[in-house]
Amino acid sequence: MRIIRNVFRRKLRASLTIFGITIGVFALVVMGAMAEKITLLVDGGTRYFSDKVTVSASSMHGFGAGPLSVNKLQELETIDDVALASADITMTLEKEQGASFGMPSLVIGSDLRGIERESFSVSFRDGRDLEAGDAGKAVVGSDLVRRMDAQVGNTITVRDREFEVVGIMEKTFTMPDNSIFIPFLDAQEIFYHDNLPEIVRTHIDMREITTGITLYPEEGVDPDELAERIKEMMPEYDIVGPARFEEQVTSATRIFTTIVFGVAIISLLVGGLSVINTMTMSVFERTREIGIRKSLGASHGRIIRQFLSESAVIGLIGGISGLLLGWLFIVVANSLGDASGTVVFLLTPRLAVGSVAFAFFLGILSGLYPSWRAARMNPVEALRYE
Amino acid sequence: MNSPDVVMRGAGLHKRYRLGKDNFVNALRGANVEITAGEMVAIMGPSGSGKSTIMHIMGCLDRPDQGEIWLDGKRVDRLGGGELNRIRSREIGFIFQGFNLIPTLSALENISLAAEYAGASRREAMRKAAQALADVGLAGWAGHRPSELSGGQQQRVAIARALVNAPSMVLGDEPTGDLDTGTSREIMSMMRHINQDTGTTFVLVTHNPEVAAVCARIIYMRDGLVVEGDPGQAPGGSSAQG
Repeated sequence: MRIIRNVFRRKLRASLTIFGITIGVFALVVMGAMAEKITLLVDGGTRYFSDKVTVSASSMHGFGAGPLSVNKLQELETIDDVALASADITMTLEKEQGASFGMPSLVIGSDLRGIERESFSVSFRDGRDLEAGDAGKAVVGSDLVRRMDAQVGNTITVRDREFEVVGIMEKTFTMPDNSIFIPFLDAQEIFYHDNLPEIVRTHIDMREITTGITLYPEEGVDPDELAERIKEMMPEYDIVGPARFEEQVTSATRIFTTIVFGVAIISLLVGGLSVINTMTMSVFERTREIGIRKSLGASHGRIIRQFLSESAVIGLIGGISGLLLGWLFIVVANSLGDASGTVVFLLTPRLAVGSVAFAFFLGILSGLYPSWRAARMNPVEALRYE
Repeated sequence: MNSPDVVMRGAGLHKRYRLGKDNFVNALRGANVEITAGEMVAIMGPSGSGKSTIMHIMGCLDRPDQGEIWLDGKRVDRLGGGELNRIRSREIGFIFQGFNLIPTLSALENISLAAEYAGASRREAMRKAAQALADVGLAGWAGHRPSELSGGQQQRVAIARALVNAPSMVLGDEPTGDLDTGTSREIMSMMRHINQDTGTTFVLVTHNPEVAAVCARIIYMRDGLVVEGDPGQAPGGSSAQG
C-alpha cells in the first residue's frame, strides 16, 4: 500500500509513465498474438508434413508443367518405399485472390485415398467427415463457420456452387481452421472451369487434373530420403519432404517474428526510458525524504528496495493494463475477423504471462540507476535540501 | 579512557567543507565535547560556529576529518556506512527544526518506520509506534498525515519517532525553531519531563535562550570550537586549521 501511495504521489506523471508501459505491452501482446497464430499454423504444417512427401507442379516451371495428372498416381505408387499416393486439389476460396492479411482461405478436395494412413487427425464439433461417394457435400473449418454461415444441414455457396454442410471441424489452430473440404470430383470441376485458361482446358481431361499428390511412405522409411530420391527421378515437379517444408516456412516465419518482436521491444524500451525518467525525478524530489530515512538509519539496501519496488509496481501495473487492453483488442479484432474468416490473433498463456513478466522486470531494471542514486546520497546534504 | 556514565565523547574534531572550487569552510577546528548519560544539554553559538556540524558528527550522520568520536565506550568515527546506519537506527534519535516527517506516511507509520529500520518486524514496529504515540499524547491521531497535524503535534510525532527505539541519545537541531512561543514551551517541557522520567539524554542545538534555559548545561561554540561549558577541559583554539 505504501508503495502504491508513493507511486501515485504525482498522479499525472505516474499515470503517463504507466501509460507508456501499457502501450509497449499492448504492442507486444497484439503483435505477439499475431506471431503466435502463425507459429501454431506452422507447427500444424510441420506436424502434417512430418510423415509424408508432397508432389506438386513446380512453380519454377511456371504453368508449363501444367496441373499434375491423376495418372501419375499409379506411377508414383510403383516407386520403392511408397505405400500410397493420394491426389488433392487445393485452391483459394476466392476466385480472384487479392493481397490479403494472413493466410487466404482454401478449398480442398481430396480423393480420400490416404484417409486410413493420415496421422494428422481432426475431430468434429458437429456432423461427420467427408466419405467416399459424397457429392455436393462440404466440411467447414472452425474459422469459416461465421463467414459462411455454416451449420450442419445448411447449404453454403463455394465458388458459386452450392454445397450441403455435413460437418464442422473442431479448432486445430492451424490450416484446416481456415479451409473448406469438398469431394474431389467437385473440386476438379471447379478448378477446371474457374482456374484453368481456355487454351489449357481444351487439351486436358477434367477428370485427370489434380494440384498435388501426397505420398505416404512405407513403415520405417525416412520421408526426407524418399523425397530426395523422387526429386532426382522427377525434377520437373516440386517435391517437398518434412525437412524442406520446415526449411521453407521457418525462414519466412523467423523474419516475421523478428520484425514483430522488434517493434514491440522498441516500444517497450521507450516505456522503460520513461520509467527511468520518472524515477529519477521522483528520487530528486524526495531528496529530503531520503535524508530523513537515512537519519533514521535506513540501510542502502532498504532505500534501493524501496525505490525498486516502486518502479517494479509501475512496470507491473503498466504490464497488466497493457495485457488487458491487448486482450480486449484481440477479442474484438478476432470477432470482427471471424465474420470474414480471417482470425489473425491468438493470445496464448505464455504470451500473456511473458508480457507482464517482461514489463515487471523492465520496471525493476529501469529503477536500478535511480535507486542506486538515492541510496548513495549524503544524508547531511539530503536533509538540508529544500 | 571513558568513564562509564559518558554517553558520547568527541575529541579534537575537525571538519572542513568545500563550498566552491577553492572555497573551503572550516566548520570544526578541533572541538572537544563530552555528554554524560541522562543529561539535557544545549549547544549554543552564532551561525557558522559549527553547532550543526558537531551535531551531525555526534549523530553519526557525518564523519570528522580528524579526531575521535566515542559512543557508549565504542569508537565510531572510523566505522563503515552499514555500521553507522545500525548505530543511527538504534542508538540515536533525531528531532529536526522542520519536523522532517515523511508526508505520505501517517503519524503512526512515520514512527513505526524508525522501529522497522532498527530491526523490528512490521507488527512489532506498529505496536511500539502506537505506544510511543500515546506517550506523547497523540494516541487518537495515529492515522493522520503530517499535513493534517499542527506544528506542535508534528513535533510531538517527531519526538515519539526519536524515542521509539529507546536510544542512548536524542539530538535536536533547533527543535522549536518552527513553533510559536506557547507551543515551543510545551514541547520543551515535554522533552524535559521525558529526560527526567526516563533518563534519556538530550542534546539540543539552539539559538533560543528559552530553550537553553530548560537544559541543565549549555555548551557554547564559536569558530568551530567549544569555548565554554565543556567539563574538564580548556578550549583547544591553537589547533585550528586554516
